[in-house]
Amino acid sequence: MIEPTLALYGDAFERVDRHLEELLAATGVRYCLLVDRKGFVLSHKEALWAPRPPALDSVATLVASNAAATAALANMLGERTFSEQIHQGEQGTLYVESVGDSALLTLIFDVSVPLGRVKVHTKKSIAQVALILEELADAPPVQFSDDFSSGANALLDDLFG
Amino acid sequence: MSTINFAAREINCKIVYYGPGMSGKTTNLKHVFSKVPAGLRGDMVSLATEDERTLFFDFLPLDLGTVQGFKTRFHLYTVPGQVFYNASRKLILRGVDGIVFVADSAPNRLRANAESMRNLRENLAEHGIDVRDVPIVLQVNKRDIDGALPTEMIRAVIDPKKELTLFEATAHNGGGVFETLKSVSKLVLDRLSQNK
Repeated sequence: MIEPTLALYGDAFERVDRHLEELLAATGVRYCLLVDRKGFVLSHKEALWAPRPPALDSVATLVASNAAATAALANMLGERTFSEQIHQGEQGTLYVESVGDSALLTLIFDVSVPLGRVKVHTKKSIAQVALILEELADAPPVQFSDDFSSGANALLDDLFG
Repeated sequence: MSTINFAAREINCKIVYYGPGMSGKTTNLKHVFSKVPAGLRGDMVSLATEDERTLFFDFLPLDLGTVQGFKTRFHLYTVPGQVFYNASRKLILRGVDGIVFVADSAPNRLRANAESMRNLRENLAEHGIDVRDVPIVLQVNKRDIDGALPTEMIRAVIDPKKELTLFEATAHNGGGVFETLKSVSKLVLDRLSQNK
């Protein structure tokens, strides 16, 4: 195996989803994303009133890369990691906190939301989400049926000629 | 291994374009971006210096479509080729599912090609990955330049045992770009179905 996989499904996915919903409601942030360390979005929620979200693929990639760079800096400075990142601009804030070693919780909000409130609620959610992700480590390995490869190859032929 | 989201019915795979500085990694991505229908690809993110040398990475999300009910998405990355950006290269290799090694055909870049491959092996090893555990495709780029080195000479320093599938390319006009991407994509998806 190249990298521990995060196969999020069933009850675990629904519980993570619920925690993100609750976090969104409790904090008043615009967007809430659970991103894996490879930069893929595992789950995301947005407030009903929030404007059209930015490209979440790109946000997730940059957040994960930033977290990796921050962790490398932490190691150089003798820390195991820096668990949170805060980027504050004139209009809004990006807040990222580690969920164990496998994921990152990302919140995007505007100046009307106090950072302190976000931090308090995020830490609570992280404890709960981290437990769910730990459970996933014991999930059975993912199996695809034999014709997955032929289906994938047909797709590649269509797209790339 | 790929990130699989059963609830959202998504499979996500990470492919990294690796190779020496100026070998054409970003050019590969730019060509893919320009030719793939807008509905199948996202925004291209380039973190580059003022003179357009890659500083951290380029990134392009690509939707392949649906396989057995799973939306299959590839994230394509390049690494900065310059020797002094090794810390960035190492970070980008985290969680890689497949690699395209882009070699430079210029006569004065033979050593740079060899050193980049050695650097790839070392950086993978730091992530605890043996180079044989990752699907890798070799693209020998810039085949149209004057004095281009023979392909076999380049392969001899990068892949002496001839284990890698090789494609000749002229990425600036798209030659060999999709053939290379298709080949590495197949290798990655084959491994996924074998549950490796």
